[in-house]
Amino acid sequence: MNLAVAPAVSLEGVTYRYPGSNAGVVDITFDIMPGELIVCIGASGCGKTTLLRLIAGFLKPDAGSVRLNGEDVSQLPTRKRDCGVVFQAYALFPHMRVWENVAYPLRVRNAPLAERRRRAFEMLELVGLTGLQDRLPSQLSGGQQQRVALARALVFGPRALLLDEPLSALDAATRVVMRDEVRRIQRGQNIASLLITHDQDEALSLADRILMLREGRLAQLAPPQEIYDRPADGFVATFVGRANVLDATVVDGTTADTPVGRLVTPSHAGTPGSRIRLLVRPERIELVPEATGENVFHAQIVRDRFFGATRRIEVSAGNGRLEIETAARDPVANVRVPRDAIQFLANIEGRKA
Amino acid sequence: MPLALITALYLVYLIIPIALLLIGSFGNLWLNTLLPTGFTGRWYLDVVADSSFRRAFAASLGVAGVTCALCVAMGLPLGYAVFRADNPWIRSLARVLYQMPVALPPLVLAFGFILVFSSDALPWLGSIWLLAAGHVVLTLPYFLQTIVSDMQRLGLRQLEDAAESLGSNGLQRFLHIVLPALQQSIVAGLIIVVTLSIGEFQFSNLVAGFLNRTYPVVLLQAFYGATGFACAATVLLLALALLAAVAGSLTAGGATRMQVNAA
Repeated sequence: MNLAVAPAVSLEGVTYRYPGSNAGVVDITFDIMPGELIVCIGASGCGKTTLLRLIAGFLKPDAGSVRLNGEDVSQLPTRKRDCGVVFQAYALFPHMRVWENVAYPLRVRNAPLAERRRRAFEMLELVGLTGLQDRLPSQLSGGQQQRVALARALVFGPRALLLDEPLSALDAATRVVMRDEVRRIQRGQNIASLLITHDQDEALSLADRILMLREGRLAQLAPPQEIYDRPADGFVATFVGRANVLDATVVDGTTADTPVGRLVTPSHAGTPGSRIRLLVRPERIELVPEATGENVFHAQIVRDRFFGATRRIEVSAGNGRLEIETAARDPVANVRVPRDAIQFLANIEGRKA
Repeated sequence: MPLALITALYLVYLIIPIALLLIGSFGNLWLNTLLPTGFTGRWYLDVVADSSFRRAFAASLGVAGVTCALCVAMGLPLGYAVFRADNPWIRSLARVLYQMPVALPPLVLAFGFILVFSSDALPWLGSIWLLAAGHVVLTLPYFLQTIVSDMQRLGLRQLEDAAESLGSNGLQRFLHIVLPALQQSIVAGLIIVVTLSIGEFQFSNLVAGFLNRTYPVVLLQAFYGATGFACAATVLLLALALLAAVAGSLTAGGATRMQVNAA
């Protein structure tokens, strides 16, 4: 990493507990580099929105610090933090026209009227709303309203852009369009951004890095491909994408016993008899005609669902089950788990050996 | 079509008293007949010429105006505080408390006022201010209910969060966001307040002084005189209440347009 580039947003050991509850975030540390888009995912109630509100200043951390462009803003009120926030329900001011909404941050910064108009119109052009500047928010579609919210959050040159489930209120088709739009605009402004979502497709397709939260703690922070290919643990593996997670007993350096049967694995450091956990993605498992070869098991179909481009099959093999995703139309008799499709997951949590 | 029939009957039931009042107010003579005989406008002229009615008209407007001002001055901060309270228990408790006057019969309130304000220490019985104070007690719950539920409906908290993140301070948020967003709710609440205040009889009848009796109180006297006169006086009360409502909504519309044109 280039040491000359300082992070735009920097959290260090940030902890916050809602008074009288266990909910909140614990010991969160991460940076957002200038121009980087970090997408935060996790189950509902895992602290995603809390994290955003801590950066925006709606909440003050119990411990740890929030820095924007190197300045410690932990105790600064929201209005002095210069973070553009886009809310799930847009939060446009209903009594102001589109351009007045966009110009509002400039109005409270005492910019002259002419400049306010000019910059608001520039922003509206950027988000593709030229011609709609005199409408009221209630006269716009959901996607248009979200564009206004985006323009308003960017017009004052904020230090960071924070988006709280910005696409979840939109219908499916608009959501996909707006997803690309958010990315394009964020790229164009080259602004450090944190986007919150519970949609893994959104996370995988948008993010420079994905920040996975679990019960208020940082579970993993990595680029989308790494999150998918090398998840930190079974929780991340099952949350992002579909996953076969197999509890296994080590036989030797390259084999392990699983409920499905004995698997030949990449070499690992587990001592014989110890418990490990394996991950195999459904699309890596192959259907094979012959019951011979390495890691081939006889399989019986439990469920077979057709989705057009793919087919999702659940089979029982040995004493276990496997989920398979394939484009093949063939009947299922045997399945093969390629050796290089097997990954090792970190420690077995909350489960007895 | 039983539903249509019921609706029609209900409408007739609603309209007949008002229609009869209108007919009676223009009728010359109405004695032991189904409908009055003759047509005249003199009852209206009589009411307008009557100094006690003119005074009552002014007193009613005055009391309603003061009541509105007090409702906004007290209700807006109170409603905002209830809305912004962090503790949900406090919010619920406050809502129960401010709704309580609805259950209070105006008669009981009037007796209370008479007990307290006929004393030598607080000899204010009969003043227009005391009358307005009583009307505030009776109307504030409706005003608060209107604006607090609108604050929730509009998502005012998130609007304020947004405004704060965009750099505005507390005063700017109140002036730029809270007040304009609530403008129509305030006017809607005040229309209720005005119509309730102008029509209020029970409390006003007992507490009003002789020189500032409100319109409904004076109206009662009219029922002892000519039928046409009483009808005309009642129609004027109706018109007064209606006027207040229409003026209110027009102000609301105009103010909203002005707000949009400004800034």
